[in-house]
Amino acid sequence: MKTLLSSLLLLSFAALPLAASGSESEPKLFAALAMTKSQKASPLPTDSGVFLYDNEAQRWRRFGPSIQQVNSLASDPSNPAHLFLACGNGIVRSQDGGTSWRMVTGWRESDITKIVVDPTNGQNVYASSAWGVIISKDGGDTWIAANQGLVEKLVKSIVIDHLNPNRLLVATTAGLFESNDQAQSWSQVSVPTNDAILGLDRNQSDPDLWIAGTEGSGVIVSKDNGKTWQSTAPALAQANIYGITTNHANSQAMAAGGWGKGLWVSNDGGNTWTDRSAGLPSKNISKTTFDQASKNRLWVSTFEEGTFYTDDMGKTWRTDDIIKPGAGGSILGAYVIDLGFVSVSK
Amino acid sequence: MPLFKALSLKLTIALCAVTLIQPISAGQTSISSLSDEELIQQYRERAQYLLDQTVALTDPTDLSAGGMFHLAVNLHEGANLEWVKARLITANQPPAGAMFWMIPMVLFMQIAQDIENETGTPALTDDEKAFIRILWKSYFPYRGDTENHWIMYYVSQYLVAEMTPDGGPELWYNGKSSAENMAEAREYIEDWIKITTSYGQGEYDSPNYIEEYTRPMALLAGWAKDPVLRKKGKMMMDYVLLDYAVENINGLYGGAHSRVYPRFLVQPSLSAAASHGWLIFGQGDYLSSGGNMMIALSGYTPPPILLRIAHDRDNPYVHRELKRTRWRLRNAGPEAFDIGGMTTIPVYKYSYVHKDFILGSSQGGLLQPIQQQTWSLLWHEDKPSGISNTMFGVQSYSSPFEGTMYFSTDWDTVTDLISRSKVDYDLEDKLEGGSPYEQVAQYQAALIALYDIPEGTRFPLIHTYFSRDLKNRVEDSSGWIFSQGGPTYIAYRPLAPGAWKPVDWTDSLKKGLGGYFSATANPKSGFEPLVGGSESYVSYDLKNGYIVQVASSSDFDSYEAFQAAVNALPLEYSMKPTPTVTFTSLDGAVLTAEYGKLFSVDGKADDLAAWPLFDGPFAQAERESESLEIIHDDERYLLDFKNARTETTNSSAK
Repeated sequence: MKTLLSSLLLLSFAALPLAASGSESEPKLFAALAMTKSQKASPLPTDSGVFLYDNEAQRWRRFGPSIQQVNSLASDPSNPAHLFLACGNGIVRSQDGGTSWRMVTGWRESDITKIVVDPTNGQNVYASSAWGVIISKDGGDTWIAANQGLVEKLVKSIVIDHLNPNRLLVATTAGLFESNDQAQSWSQVSVPTNDAILGLDRNQSDPDLWIAGTEGSGVIVSKDNGKTWQSTAPALAQANIYGITTNHANSQAMAAGGWGKGLWVSNDGGNTWTDRSAGLPSKNISKTTFDQASKNRLWVSTFEEGTFYTDDMGKTWRTDDIIKPGAGGSILGAYVIDLGFVSVSK
Repeated sequence: MPLFKALSLKLTIALCAVTLIQPISAGQTSISSLSDEELIQQYRERAQYLLDQTVALTDPTDLSAGGMFHLAVNLHEGANLEWVKARLITANQPPAGAMFWMIPMVLFMQIAQDIENETGTPALTDDEKAFIRILWKSYFPYRGDTENHWIMYYVSQYLVAEMTPDGGPELWYNGKSSAENMAEAREYIEDWIKITTSYGQGEYDSPNYIEEYTRPMALLAGWAKDPVLRKKGKMMMDYVLLDYAVENINGLYGGAHSRVYPRFLVQPSLSAAASHGWLIFGQGDYLSSGGNMMIALSGYTPPPILLRIAHDRDNPYVHRELKRTRWRLRNAGPEAFDIGGMTTIPVYKYSYVHKDFILGSSQGGLLQPIQQQTWSLLWHEDKPSGISNTMFGVQSYSSPFEGTMYFSTDWDTVTDLISRSKVDYDLEDKLEGGSPYEQVAQYQAALIALYDIPEGTRFPLIHTYFSRDLKNRVEDSSGWIFSQGGPTYIAYRPLAPGAWKPVDWTDSLKKGLGGYFSATANPKSGFEPLVGGSESYVSYDLKNGYIVQVASSSDFDSYEAFQAAVNALPLEYSMKPTPTVTFTSLDGAVLTAEYGKLFSVDGKADDLAAWPLFDGPFAQAERESESLEIIHDDERYLLDFKNARTETTNSSAK
């Protein structure tokens, strides 16, 4: 019995979150994912959770608890030890850089898709979910719904205006909505489509530049801080675009990836676009993001066929995401639900 | 004793026990002669038989088989205790299954606690208790994405919190204290009860998922320390079982269903509902299930009125119910309404229950993702085991429109990911599922189904299941197809040309996909034993429909007389521009159905706004009433959830 108990204790510790390596807060690449490729005749992915990319070891490491359906990870910009997991179960928070975790939502909050934290006040936390927007004014201790003005509550993503934290935009199945009062009310933003908005990104160096992916209408951009929006990337005009990103170090560079369309890039602020799918094993793109540490690096996740990066805007692709039998460290076979950068510190 | 002798002895005991426990005979006469005490005594004998069987069939040398339900039964019975303790470890390395792990684990913990409370001697060692506590700390279960997932999750969480009322966050996987977990769980459970008794279940009337509700309710009824929640758990058990009893034919769940797997569609006697039918109502054949083990251990005793209702088929009756769809995330449609910020639409269920058959339906459309059964016919079989005593129709539909209506998964992956587990979802010969292009109406034993399928639909076809167990099929020159299922005559009138195909004409199910049918030669779970030889009547016309008219063979002098009567019934129909039917049923009612419009009987249209929560001779409940009145003859049993109160009048127990 003692042997068995010991083995379970080991199992228990193995399941506990791994602490963030080191105390640095340099943004790290994360992937929120479900391992679906090997999911056969079962409702359960073979694994799921959040993984951080270890640049030095060139491998992925689990971060946080192992829970089915984790959709994203966020941290408080003013205190990167405060972390939030967007989960099917709700929101799971760490206040010690990932050493311990606590579920901070109740039964009314579910299927969280994305979380953002006010960069000027870490008490203000906002989350999108399949059932609407929820907000916290106490750093995540308590939450309330904030859906006034939304037409549909299935919210795919949320972005906070880092220059004006009272302002938020959400991507919903009924279009793009904006709040200028900390999510107390929402109003619809006019965009050149009635289709669902699937993802949203705002450039940090050129705050006038926003980009969004749509369900069936390709890519739309705004160059006047979200006031007006235009379609771009005509080759993707009818595509479902799940991955969109702008380079925060170079606002002329952006990328978009869709289902069956592969990965497309623009080097001129969205005026022209080039298919950079050659070299990728699949044209089904789930997420893409520019690297926040390596300024010209672009990451892309294909559906179940691996996560890759390029240092030359897609002319050539590389991956460290290879199967290392018995060694772990790979997320090959994953359905990457979110791919991004997050600062983590102890 | 050598192992084979021990097993042989156990099997002998089991077989003897089978002969001792006989189902209650169907029919009012036999059941009405039994008092409450006698019915309860018989129920308890069945429950004990189930426990004895579970113990008898346990192989104490096998540490790789036996789930936590089996462990709980053996622990309760004081049997195979070494195996129980060893298997406790191997069955949980690692824990898996989320709420499907939680529920039987809580049962096991409660049984152990009961033994300790009753005997003063711990049933588990400190190490074994620590082992279990570590599981609750280290394993972070997913709350799931269906109604049954959530109620199982929160009932489990509630009861573990009650067992450790002063537990801090260090005890729990989610970092909350026992008090916090208990409060959250209780609020959800109360909310679920209120919604269910006000608007109906979203995951309604499922022949297989019924036990995902009876398991948690039996847990509450058996072990909740809080008297109100314990009472409500018992009341919800009664509620769920009444819901089944009124659409029950000899232990099989008839009518329209929210969710049902193919193996249970084609052989209803294999479902969890059938296993409950044996235990609760004394119907059909013994069939082991985790839900039955839970109920038997919980001490739950069904009110005898439920048994009387399940057996009383002397007079045919119409039974109506109001349910709702699963919560809709988008494209909710014009009928949508909100409950607590969640969106749904009503489901109108109608069943005609006869001693020889049940014909039941819902209105069609996308009422429940993936596994909906819009209508079905079950006919009575004295021994239903091994018989495919059913008929149903399907418009084979799969699409990301349906998937994204109910799931937040992306448009391009949702169908694929659904099909990873519900492997027949995206097959043209699928046996279940709703369609936005299907509209069904029913009056007593006559049913009309109409279809208006747009060009370009992935599977532009409809098909109707004709069991191998139907006899004497006749394709009449009138266009009617006649057949006989047990004591039931069936007339099926296609309104567009079709052709016969073997069931599973794509050969997908018979390969054993997804555990729905075993690919092995197992005589009970392989495709051929379950459904081989059955056929589908398949039609590819986009404007389509059919009529089903059912009758008891006892109502006619002969099969030929039935055919002649049906052939004489007035029928007018046209498929273009819109499928429209006017049909006079065997009852003489003039039924008018036009795709996209309300169904009418003798010129009077359905009043859907007035459709009650329960309406039939055995059950009455108004919308938003949070109550249910159960009726049998002069006996009344009231479930009043607002006040956590029951009221019984004129029980034969007096």
